[in-house]
Amino acid sequence: MPMHRFVTTAVLSLCALTAQADTQRLDDSRSHTVPPTAQMEWTPQTRADRDGAMEAWVRVNVHIDTRDWVGRSGRIYMVLPRDGASGIEAEWTARGPLRSGRLVAGERSLVFAGAVRGAEITDQLLVHLRSGPDWPSNSRRLNFHFEIDPDPVLLTP
Amino acid sequence: MPAADGDGNLSIGPPKDPVHNDTMRSPLRHRSLRRLVTAGLLVACGVQAGAAHAWSLTIAAASRRVFLHVGNGSPEADNGTVNLVSATLTGAQLIAGTPLPMVSNSTQSASLLDGFTTCPTPASQVIIGASYRRSSATNGPASATLRVTSPANLTSAAGDTIPFSQISWTVSAPGSGAPNVIPAGTFNGATQTLATIPANTYIENCHSFTYANSAVRAAGTYTGQVTYTLTSP
Repeated sequence: MPMHRFVTTAVLSLCALTAQADTQRLDDSRSHTVPPTAQMEWTPQTRADRDGAMEAWVRVNVHIDTRDWVGRSGRIYMVLPRDGASGIEAEWTARGPLRSGRLVAGERSLVFAGAVRGAEITDQLLVHLRSGPDWPSNSRRLNFHFEIDPDPVLLTP
Repeated sequence: MPAADGDGNLSIGPPKDPVHNDTMRSPLRHRSLRRLVTAGLLVACGVQAGAAHAWSLTIAAASRRVFLHVGNGSPEADNGTVNLVSATLTGAQLIAGTPLPMVSNSTQSASLLDGFTTCPTPASQVIIGASYRRSSATNGPASATLRVTSPANLTSAAGDTIPFSQISWTVSAPGSGAPNVIPAGTFNGATQTLATIPANTYIENCHSFTYANSAVRAAGTYTGQVTYTLTSP
């Protein structure tokens, strides 16, 4: 193979792979929660959990923009960054195609794995939020997002 | 890591740090070509960077809450039952002047916290439990206060009276490391503080009442009602 062709191929291939093998944040700006805000309620105290906890239920209509990933495969995760406040746990059931799961602030959880077939992934999640009674203030904002780890590509020029 | 094989095909795995790929094996030996590769990678990486949005939610903490349980009660719910504690004295007992244990019409033996049998003999006990919950240090004071208010006297239909201070109580809580978390005492015909309850704490124990019987009273049925309150100002 001539040198210039090899270099071109290598650069293009590496660029493509580099761009797509790393975690990429997805746009789900059309997602919304019902209700738009939530009020936590106390869970019953128990002898084992005398501090008790707070909980809330919200429904999330998820719309993930996957136009850039049609035909590609990978793993999509839901992420809840740590917000500096006390720990919070989210557990959800999905109708599909997303997976049901659980995560705590600071972690991510797999919600989709496989080939992206359409320009958008939609689903409805019923999310159960649970937290201890040690907030720094009387309200907080949870900023979830989705990100994709695309599968590596094997190219043979 | 990219690697060129003998046939000229290029198989590519996920690079950890594509910009600083020191271990790349390829025919690329020339510095300018390396720079070209690096530039290409940087351009590609730059193209991929873009704005993204996410779903978010504002949640409000649960409201501050106090829960008080005296005698028959219901978990996490109101219960309007007012239990009766009583003592029926014979003439001999009245003259003897010895203290008499009082009986209760309470049937509540189980803790509302977890169902544990805190008061094994509710016929002579009244379970009292209290909790105070807040979501943060800014969500109200650090503690709540349990008080009991008694009138000055028990009274009969004839207008005779017995000082409420004739009634006292002891406390117990089998299996508890703090059986006197609400201490024993004697009613004083006014409001008295029984316990301070730290935030996000549940306390409970059993109260057994005693009539002092320290004086001979006119025949009759004497009644009075005490009220327990739990407050977090």
